[in-house]
Order: sequence, then C-alpha cells, then structure tokens
Amino acid sequence: MKMRRFMALAMATVMGASLLTACGGGSGSGSGSETTTTAAATTAAETTAAAASGETEAAETEAAAAEKSIEPTTITFWHGMNNKQEQSLTELTDKFNAENEYGITVELVNQGSYSDLQTKLMANAAADTLPDIAQAYNNYFTDYVDKVVALDDFVANDYPDWDDILESYRTENSEYGKITGVPFNKSTYLFFYNKTMFDELGLEAPKTWEDLEHIGEVILAEKGLAAIGYDSMCDMLEAALRQHGEQYVDASGALFNTAGGLETLEFIMNLYNSGYARLVGEDNYFSDSLSNGMIGGYVGSSTGVSYISTDIEGKEFELGVCPVVGDKTNAAYNAGTNIVMFAKDENNQKAAWEYMKFMTSKESTIKWAMDTGYLPIRTSAYESDEYQEFMAGDITAQAAYEQAPYGFVSKASFTGSNEIRNVVSTTLNELITEKADAQTALDTLIAEINDVLQ
Amino acid sequence: MKSTKPSAIIADIVKYVILIAGALFTLLPFVWMVLSSLKSANEIVQIPPTMIPKKFMFSNYAEAWAEAPFPRYFLNTVFIATVTTVGVLLTSILSAFAFSRLDFPGKKIIFSLFMATLMIPGEMLLITNFITITKLKWIDTYKAMIVPWLANVFYTYLLTQFFSSVPEALYLAAKVDKCSDLKFLFKIMVPMNKNAITTVAILSFIGSWNSFLWPLLVTNSTNMRVLSHGLVRFQSEAGTKYQLVMAASCILVVPIIIVYLFLRKYILEGMSYTGVKG
Repeated sequence: MKMRRFMALAMATVMGASLLTACGGGSGSGSGSETTTTAAATTAAETTAAAASGETEAAETEAAAAEKSIEPTTITFWHGMNNKQEQSLTELTDKFNAENEYGITVELVNQGSYSDLQTKLMANAAADTLPDIAQAYNNYFTDYVDKVVALDDFVANDYPDWDDILESYRTENSEYGKITGVPFNKSTYLFFYNKTMFDELGLEAPKTWEDLEHIGEVILAEKGLAAIGYDSMCDMLEAALRQHGEQYVDASGALFNTAGGLETLEFIMNLYNSGYARLVGEDNYFSDSLSNGMIGGYVGSSTGVSYISTDIEGKEFELGVCPVVGDKTNAAYNAGTNIVMFAKDENNQKAAWEYMKFMTSKESTIKWAMDTGYLPIRTSAYESDEYQEFMAGDITAQAAYEQAPYGFVSKASFTGSNEIRNVVSTTLNELITEKADAQTALDTLIAEINDVLQ
Repeated sequence: MKSTKPSAIIADIVKYVILIAGALFTLLPFVWMVLSSLKSANEIVQIPPTMIPKKFMFSNYAEAWAEAPFPRYFLNTVFIATVTTVGVLLTSILSAFAFSRLDFPGKKIIFSLFMATLMIPGEMLLITNFITITKLKWIDTYKAMIVPWLANVFYTYLLTQFFSSVPEALYLAAKVDKCSDLKFLFKIMVPMNKNAITTVAILSFIGSWNSFLWPLLVTNSTNMRVLSHGLVRFQSEAGTKYQLVMAASCILVVPIIIVYLFLRKYILEGMSYTGVKG
C-alpha cells in the first residue's frame, strides 16, 4: 500500500511538471475562491434544474433536435467494477446497446480496482488519451479538470428531471464550478452492530454522541470489548466535525482550529483513550471482527455488508444497521464514484450523454441498486414501489434511506486534497496509538494538514 | 569416516530438527493456501482460524475460474515473460561483453551514464514511458509490454562484473587462435558464467511474471491482460474474497510447479549462487 501511495505521489509530481499549464489554470481558478465557487455552482445547478422542469417543452424540442444528429459510434467506458457489480453493469450496458435508436455501442473496459483506475486515468491524462467516459471520484481529476467535459449545457437542455437526483450528489458534481459528472455507484457509511449483544445488554441503536459513549462504556464493562470502530479514519474525522457544526478543510488549510474543533477531538480521543473504540489495524475492514463477535459495532461502507457473516458456528448473531450518529446536526459520509466525460469528439459527447442519461434513469438506478447494494441516486427511485418493496427486506437499504438527506462528500477541488486523506488517516492512527490528549491531537492534525498545503 | 561419538549424534539430531522445522515453515504458506482455497466464505474469516476446512468447498475453484479468462491470461503472461527474458539476456550479455572486454572510445563515460540511470526510480519513468508508448500507438499490444523491458542496466552491470573476473589470458589465447569475439563470447564466456546468466534469467522472468502496473497501463482489452490482473478481481472497495483469491492462486501455481520440476537443476544452481530467494 505504501508503495502505491508513493507512486501516486511520484506520478502527481511528474504530472505537475508535464502539465504545467493545465495545473496552473485549473487549480488556480478552483482554489482562488473556494466557497463562493461551490455555492455559485450549486445555485447554478438548481436554477438550471428548475429551468429544465419549468420549460420541459422547450427542453424536449431542443433535445429532439440534438438527438437526430447522433451518428452511430462506439463509446469507451473505463470502470473499476468487479464481480456482481460488473455483471449488473454489463447487463445494463447490453440493454442500452440493444435498445438505443442511434446505433451507439458502449464498450466496457475493466481497469482493475479504484486505485488502478485512478493511476490509469492520470497517465492517460498526461498522454492526452483519456477514454470517452470513466468512473471517477472528484479527487481523481483535480490536476486535469480542464480535460473533463462540462455537462452544464447537456443538463440544461437534455435532462428533464435533474432535480430528482439527490441534492448531495448534485452538489458534489458541481464542486468545480461546472457540472463534471453524473452520480453512479453511490454508497454511504452506516453503523453496523451486533444486535444480539445490544439486546442482551439492553442497548439501543445509537443516535447521538452520548449514546455512542454509553454503548462503549457498557460493552467494555460487560464484555471487555471495544464497541466501536471506523473503517476510514479521515472520513470519520470529517463526519464528526460536521456533526458538531464545524468545517473540515479547504484550499486555505484546516478549518477546525476552533473551540468546536477541540470538542470534536475530545469526543474522538475519549472514545479511543477509554477503550470504547479501537483501530482496525491490519484487517483493513471491521467486517471480520464483527462476524467473529470481537467488536460491538463499526462504521463502514454500506457495500461492505456482504462481507459480514452472521452465521459462523458458535458465533451466530443478528445484524443491526442504523444511520451514523449525529450531534448538533446530522452528517453522513457518502462514498462512490460518478461517471465523468472526457470525449473530445462532439458526436461522441452526444452519444456518451445518451448513455449517462440511461444509466441515471429511474429504471436503471433501481435495477443497479437492487443488484449491487449501491444506493439509488434519485428520489423517485427511492420512492418507487419496486425499491420500497426491496427495502422492506433489506435493513442496510433502510438505514441508508433514513440518512440520505444528511449525506456529504469531502471537498476535492483543490491540489493536495488526495494527500490530505492519507495524511489525516496516518496521523490519527499515530495519535490514537500514543493515547494523545485532545489538544495535542488537534494541534498535530492541523499542522500536518497545513503542511501538505504549504 | 563418520564418527559415532554421542556429541556428534546429538549435533546431527539438532541439525535435522532445525532443518525439518525450517522446511515446515517454508511449506506452511503453501499448505495454508491450498487449505484456505477450500474453505467457505464464513470459515475463512473465522477467528481463531481453522486449519482443516470443515466442509471442502470445491465450488470455489469453479467460481474463481469463471471470474476471469485465466487460460488467456496465462498464455499472455508466459509469452511476455519468455520473450522479455530471452531479449534481456541477449542485450545484457552483449553489452556486458563490450563493457568488460572490448575497448572503444567513451567506454567509461557510457558505462557511467548507464549506471546513472539506476539512480532514477522506476515510478518517475512510468508516465514518460507511457506517453512514448502512446505516441508509438503501441497501446494494447504485446510490444508495449515487452520492448521497454528488453534492456536492463542492472543485469548488464551484474554480468559485466562476472565477465570481468574471467582471466584476460583466456581472451588473448582465443584471439591467438583466431577466434572471433562473438565466438569467444558464446563458446567460452557464456558457458563459464552459466550460473550468473541463469540468475539474471530467473530474476527477469519472475519480475515479468509479477508485474502488474505497467501491463495494466498499456492494455485495455481483456485479451491482452495478464495473470496478476486476474487475481485482483476478487478485491472490492469493501473487502476481499480470500477463498477465491486462494483458489485462483492454487490453479496458477500448477504450471509453475511443472516448469520447476523440469528446470530444477538450473534454478537451484542459480539460486545458490547469489542467495536469491524465490
């Protein structure tokens, strides 16, 4: 893993050198007025959405005009989906290829895991040979955002129900001041817990920070176990800060050198220093620990549920799933990529847009969610009879639906955002191992983050 | 003459106990891989782990096999590793000979330049090499996976050192007998340094066999991918299906064992010569 990180860094350096112009232009304008850009973008997106739904007729006429001019073509789609996700993606794509009226063929290209995909995209951005579309997190293309096709016009003219897409996803895709993608495979962090153990000890699913501390205290006293774990430490920190009404990081540096920031670190460090929470260590994910009754519960990705075994001989338990806790407010970390367009050819752009519309349609997102355990990206999909029925039998989907309004994504549109993720995780691990106090933890984290951005 | 003194017998016992323990330790990961490949998804994450699977899940093999076109990956990997190894041997032997025996202007400077390239981390070259390959329109071809690795400065350096230690008198004697340089190289120099050359061959083959990032970068179609790409297909953002990884690894190791049985003698010689572990 360390090697990978080094390589990403090394490549970022080379990219920086070889793409001097791109870097200068792209990140310069992005980091200059961070908050205003995002705010403006959000409003812009909402306005266009409103315009689109208000003037549906006009949009349809224009869309019809655009539709006629698509020549048959082949679109390349780079993705990082494996196993059943890839299977479902292939089914949807086959359907699109068979049914679209323009002779568009979408060719799926598996590029390994997310980090492999990220590396490949970076190299191809440097060589200027990016695919037509690709799955991507926003922090993949911070250094080459100018190569991402702005979708604002497509959304305004040829996407009748943009505001049906959950707001957090629309905000995320407008972060760079233009619409950079459409949401695709979305997941969220949930609290998975051993319900059998909780019932036995008279514990309820936690809703607040205090609940979490209480659960930690009881389980440590009665079972001698840690009750809480977090698969991703940097996401945990940002979520906790937001829950406490604080801000995390932007291009100018760490934003939580405040009284509230200290309170947040006090809460976090207390969980660990008291033994209520523990680090994941070499396991990488807590699903195995939960399966073996070695932890009370943990916060992890909703897609990780398939890795939890509830029926290991002698350790059978009932699984509980609930939204992550809130404090002053609710905040839950969203994960998952968007589909981003790089196509240069105008015809390919139009063709790719047809596919992106298809993949984010109500029908597609419902099928995708039910096949893979990812979340629907549309309100109408959540509310459909089909998905409601599916959700009734799926506690993970229920919990995800419950916290959908509180979803957020880390800001990625400034240089260094990717590195900060690694630095914060490493630093938190060290601080917890050293049993640091809250003030030391706060000071160290802020120094480390600002160090990256210097 | 073997002594039968009690102290010698005890020394022998101790020696063999240590050797057997060492052998078991070495074998354990392999046995563990085979046993793990037969466990259920539940059992493989069980803590404490079980040694023998409660139920033998032979279906893991079918499932792993179906996940990727392994036969194709296997052929690609063998082809690329073989051609790369043959090529790198040829260039390394020829250049090592030139650096160790021939005199030509600028020899020292060129050799120093070669050595200087060793100081550049491979990761820094990745993007530039990739751009070159793109410009040549070699993406998604075997060439892209083979040609950049046909010359290796480290192997050249290694062989140069070995070739230099062959007495100059042999070369001069051959010259007196009107032996050409090439003939001397392949009739005398190469056979004399068989072990060093075998080592280079093994290192190159293993390196090529295990490479992951470069083949991934320069290929896009499933047909051009290699074995290491097949193995990561059992990992996802939220976990890894270890039983399938193990099953796939077991399948992949079979051809290697067959090759090893045939080439055992050479591999052992090469290994013991440099202390390189597999």
